[in-house]
Amino acid sequence: MKALRWGATALLILAALAAIGAHYVAPAGYEHQFRESPGVSPSAQHPLGTDDLGRDRFARLIYGLRVSLILAPLAAALTTLMAALIGGIAGYCGGWVEGCALVIMDLFLSIPWLFLLITVRAMLPLNISPESSVFITFLLLGVLGWAASARIICAGTRDLLKSEFVWLARASGFSGFKLLRLHLLPNLRGTLLAQFWISIPVFIIAEANLGAMGLGVAEPLPSLGSLLRELQNVVTLRPEPWRFMPLLVLIMVVSCFQTLLNKNEVRT
Amino acid sequence: MKRFLLFALALLVGPLAFAQNGGELRFCINSEPKTFNPLLAQDDNSEVIRYLTAGVLLRVNRITQKPQPELATGWKVLDGGKRIRFKLREGLRYSDGTQFSSADVAYTMQQLMDPALHSTTGDAFRSAEGKVTAQAVSPTVVEIAFPAPVANLVNLFDTVAIVSEKSPQKETATLGPFYMAEHKSGSYILLKRNPNYWKKDAAGRPLPYLDSVRLEIEQNREIEALRYRRGEVHLINTVSPAIFEKFTADDPSLVRDAGVSSDTEQLWFNQSPTASLPDYKRAWFTSTNFRRAISQAINREDMARVVFRGHAKPAIGIISPANKFWFNSKLKPHPYDPAAAIKLLQQDGFHQENGVLKDRGGHAVEFSIITNAGNRPRENMAAMIQEDLKKIGIKVSVAPMDFPSLIERISDKLNYEACLLGLVNADLDPNSQMNVWLSSADNHQWNTRQKTPATPWEAQIDKLMRAQSSSADNSKRKQYWDEVQQIAWEQEPFIYLVNKDTLVAIAPGVKNAQPSTLRPQTYWNVEELALK
Amino acid sequence: MLRSVGLAVLRLLVIMLLASMIGAVLIRVAPGFSSDEQQLNSSLSAQSIQAIKQARLTNSDLPRYYANYLAALLRGDLGISQSLNQPVRDLLRERIPVTMRSLVLALALAWLIGLALAVAAQLTRSRLLTFLTDGVSSTFISTPAVVLALVFVLLRLPPQLAATLLVFPKIYRYSQNLLQQSYQLPHVLTARAKGAGAWRVLAWHVAPMAAPQMLALVGVSVSIALGVLLPIEVICDVPGIGQLAWQAAQSRDLPLLVNLTLVVTFVTVCATMLSDSARRSFTRSAA
Repeated sequence: MKALRWGATALLILAALAAIGAHYVAPAGYEHQFRESPGVSPSAQHPLGTDDLGRDRFARLIYGLRVSLILAPLAAALTTLMAALIGGIAGYCGGWVEGCALVIMDLFLSIPWLFLLITVRAMLPLNISPESSVFITFLLLGVLGWAASARIICAGTRDLLKSEFVWLARASGFSGFKLLRLHLLPNLRGTLLAQFWISIPVFIIAEANLGAMGLGVAEPLPSLGSLLRELQNVVTLRPEPWRFMPLLVLIMVVSCFQTLLNKNEVRT
Repeated sequence: MKRFLLFALALLVGPLAFAQNGGELRFCINSEPKTFNPLLAQDDNSEVIRYLTAGVLLRVNRITQKPQPELATGWKVLDGGKRIRFKLREGLRYSDGTQFSSADVAYTMQQLMDPALHSTTGDAFRSAEGKVTAQAVSPTVVEIAFPAPVANLVNLFDTVAIVSEKSPQKETATLGPFYMAEHKSGSYILLKRNPNYWKKDAAGRPLPYLDSVRLEIEQNREIEALRYRRGEVHLINTVSPAIFEKFTADDPSLVRDAGVSSDTEQLWFNQSPTASLPDYKRAWFTSTNFRRAISQAINREDMARVVFRGHAKPAIGIISPANKFWFNSKLKPHPYDPAAAIKLLQQDGFHQENGVLKDRGGHAVEFSIITNAGNRPRENMAAMIQEDLKKIGIKVSVAPMDFPSLIERISDKLNYEACLLGLVNADLDPNSQMNVWLSSADNHQWNTRQKTPATPWEAQIDKLMRAQSSSADNSKRKQYWDEVQQIAWEQEPFIYLVNKDTLVAIAPGVKNAQPSTLRPQTYWNVEELALK
Repeated sequence: MLRSVGLAVLRLLVIMLLASMIGAVLIRVAPGFSSDEQQLNSSLSAQSIQAIKQARLTNSDLPRYYANYLAALLRGDLGISQSLNQPVRDLLRERIPVTMRSLVLALALAWLIGLALAVAAQLTRSRLLTFLTDGVSSTFISTPAVVLALVFVLLRLPPQLAATLLVFPKIYRYSQNLLQQSYQLPHVLTARAKGAGAWRVLAWHVAPMAAPQMLALVGVSVSIALGVLLPIEVICDVPGIGQLAWQAAQSRDLPLLVNLTLVVTFVTVCATMLSDSARRSFTRSAA
């Protein structure tokens, strides 16, 4: 297991370095259109071939990693933090506070937030940079995605309040936010880590789906999500397995995060 | 005995040999039709139902592009295009058995011209203020009168579905080859052969050959293509270039390129004086030199080759060269010439500074292009324009958005800078573009609903448009249209990019199919289609 | 008992009301509300375009629309869909059963697979099993719903079952972490040290600790499954509420969207309320 964790760390560092040093790793650049060779198979010049506009797929994957590897975990962290705070406070306070919080959580799970995303996008200037637009998209996803996990955190907090170590902590003078931070939330680590891990690919894919409505990353900047959208062309995909590379990379990144987050295995 | 047996066999087999082929034709529509009332059909899917079920006085043959008799055996245009008289077939019945007569035509026209209906077909007949009247002169003769001559009058009746005045089934009683039999919301629509359909083939056999047509509701183009490949559907009206290439590689008989269509893809700049644009940008967009420079800096050949895989041609102007009669053949394609584009811009005081194009006031030239999200070819075209204009120092932001948001920006709020969209020309006669070229019209996209023409050239186009719409003489109209095309070519309020080819898929088992570049591309002659 | 049921129903109604109101506001302020694609139809006259725009603005006065809507709702009238020109009630009556069937099946299978794998991983302590399961769950959680659904169509499998493969990783991950955490509790370690069998430890010591959060997860998983199922219905043209919702969103069909919000809220809140109730009962009986 240690070896696996080392391997996962190494892979993530490699991916991060490749993304940071994209200019050197993929000198072709993500936006240059090699118009004489659109949709070509992998070659020495284009390790993963080119896309419909002749842009180097390898370069777009590396630059896409940069966008997704930074923003998706950030959005996931934001949503996990919000779930922890709101769910934790609701569970801790109980009573009408918990009741109101649960109502808000149910509302967040039911409301068609797509229209909020459309409205926010419409309020932004049309010439907003692709980087800013994708940052705002991920920010909104992070702010809107906490409700499901918050419910579980709330239930867990209510339960933990009855445990002996919490009574002991209270007897020792811990209360309020300190109790939540030092005793309750650490014992909900499993749920919080699960939420964090799940959110990363969910947000990357959500950004891809929002791209179909113009709410994702703007041309020519790629993201893992926008590259995944190409997989929807299933009829033309079959003889071109290299187009699955973004999916494989995402699976690798997600698996690495999962391995690193699973620190505390019980051994026989 | 042998002879008797053979004779008996011939008696048995003979009628079978001459029987209809039968079978069920299947193809997809991309969403639920909004209405089954043929008079209210405006969206594509409702028009499919109308085309397959409704009887019309005449039908434009999509190959010869000439009108041919249907419910009417003949017609005469009178009074310079202000009246038209139809002679109708006798003895026809609706699908429910109700008798057809001239009263039904008069009733249909009355319904169609109801101002509350707001139908495209009705509006096309409104050449001027005043009433349109339809009179049943006799049971088989009807005369329709208009307040002013109507351009393209005859062909307009291709879309007028004749509904019954007397039938208890109202609009669902049909005179066309099929009638609506079943509808499962979100799933399919089944049309069955109209047992009272009047048409017969050359050998005297009743038409249609098909027993039924099943329209599967399928929004996803990939799944539609998959289903076609599996033989679950027989036709695809519009195949994407990528799928076309794939199918051609598998089996060339699966798909056909019917030739360049009359649809256009174009880019335009917001020239509206009320748009919330900085003055310097408004100055750019209203400058003819600027627009022509942008046009010359865009590589249309690359666009046709890369985005449409060679299944498109660089566009020249308003009218596609495929529209042989109306196209102004004197016009040549705008060349791809970035150097010439720079020279044009320099005439307006633009200059390049460290690779960035700037105007007289020192503002870096940058603008955004909006287009409809989810339309992959358009998004790709926008990305290519972005790359092309970067070479001359212009920064372009591409902002795809969902269609309702886009419509609001270009039609109501006017808060955009440039837009990339396409125009579907369902009719070869360009009179249908009246509401694009009149400066006061809603669809005069670059500067909509003008009280008075903003420029002399728009005033000239207004004059020409009014002249052509009030003339029934096509050769005269052609002259007017040639001039409109010339002006549009010079001024480039629309920067026309490409004319796409009509790519269709027709299963090898479908007989008598003749794909056309006009809609409906694959089944325009549905009553003659048969399945092997 | 009656009081708590009454309170629960009241809570449900309040949330449904709030959700539909907020949803209506979001739809109303979203760009494109008053637009119709027929405005771009160059064959229409200026008067027709004006009439089309006016028709779109019928529901623009939101307070009035909502008041009328509520009054009609009490009579069982859900209004007419602007985009499909059909009574919303008929549309929902046809579509809801399709989605509900897919939802129940997908959820049941997802829980079966997710929970079974999480339990197996804890019981067997097999690193290989954990590794493989983690890999499989990573694969499916990283695959867009649309892509998986299209693969199912390619393989001629019901695309709705793709929802199972997309939901189970989340259930697996939460369950795995909850069980792992519970296994580390002192009393569980004590039970194991005293020689209690693996199943006994799981059933008597671990499950009760993990149960409250698991039960909360049950409620939330309904919402997760619905969120996955709807795009699958859109892409694969399954005639459920997902396809309807997409068409309504594209055309800003306020009557249809408000009612769909009500349906989704009803399903979500019922699921969470039932799971809360189960959790409270469990906690009370455990105490």
